[in-house]
Amino acid sequence: MINNVRALRTARGLTQADLGQALGVSRQAIIAIEADQHDPSLDLAFKMAALFETEVEAIFVNPHRQT
Amino acid sequence: MVEDKVVEQTPQAKTYITRTFMFMGIYVLINIVAIAGTMDGLPPPARWLVSFMVSLPIAGQIWATLVMIRDSDEFIGAFLARQFILASGVAMALFSAWGFAESYAGAAHVPGWMIYPLFWACFGLVAPFARKPAK
Repeated sequence: MINNVRALRTARGLTQADLGQALGVSRQAIIAIEADQHDPSLDLAFKMAALFETEVEAIFVNPHRQT
Repeated sequence: MVEDKVVEQTPQAKTYITRTFMFMGIYVLINIVAIAGTMDGLPPPARWLVSFMVSLPIAGQIWATLVMIRDSDEFIGAFLARQFILASGVAMALFSAWGFAESYAGAAHVPGWMIYPLFWACFGLVAPFARKPAK
């Protein structure tokens, strides 16, 4: 799933390990999400949205939304 | 390999690797005892008992894998589940094909206990294909 996780993370000066720790997942999970190799669960997506203080769709591009 | 590093770096993975080596060691030990001829001197009931003992470390390994999947985060759990399913499927497919080749094409006999080493060989080989789910 195309996402802005890397941009949001680096804008806050977080490493992949920092973000993983804050979200309760491994650094490898963050690497995989940023590389579009893992679609996170809804729960993890909401955790990210809360951490970055934004909406889920501001992090993950909704492929089903007609714009 | 990236997948190997995934399994090496989490606390759950360290426990999983320790358990894997322990169960694999028991399996190898039983095979060494059998190959060394120890079973030849046993009465038939004891031979049956030792034969079924081989299944215990395999069951233990499946338990260790399930615990690892349960205790890991969603990415590592999903990766390991895919890797286990792929390796099991490839090992079963190859061994079934060989069995038919034995029966109908004159292939050399391979003992059934070879399925476990074959599974582990497949487990390593399928890792790159387990990293991302098929869509």
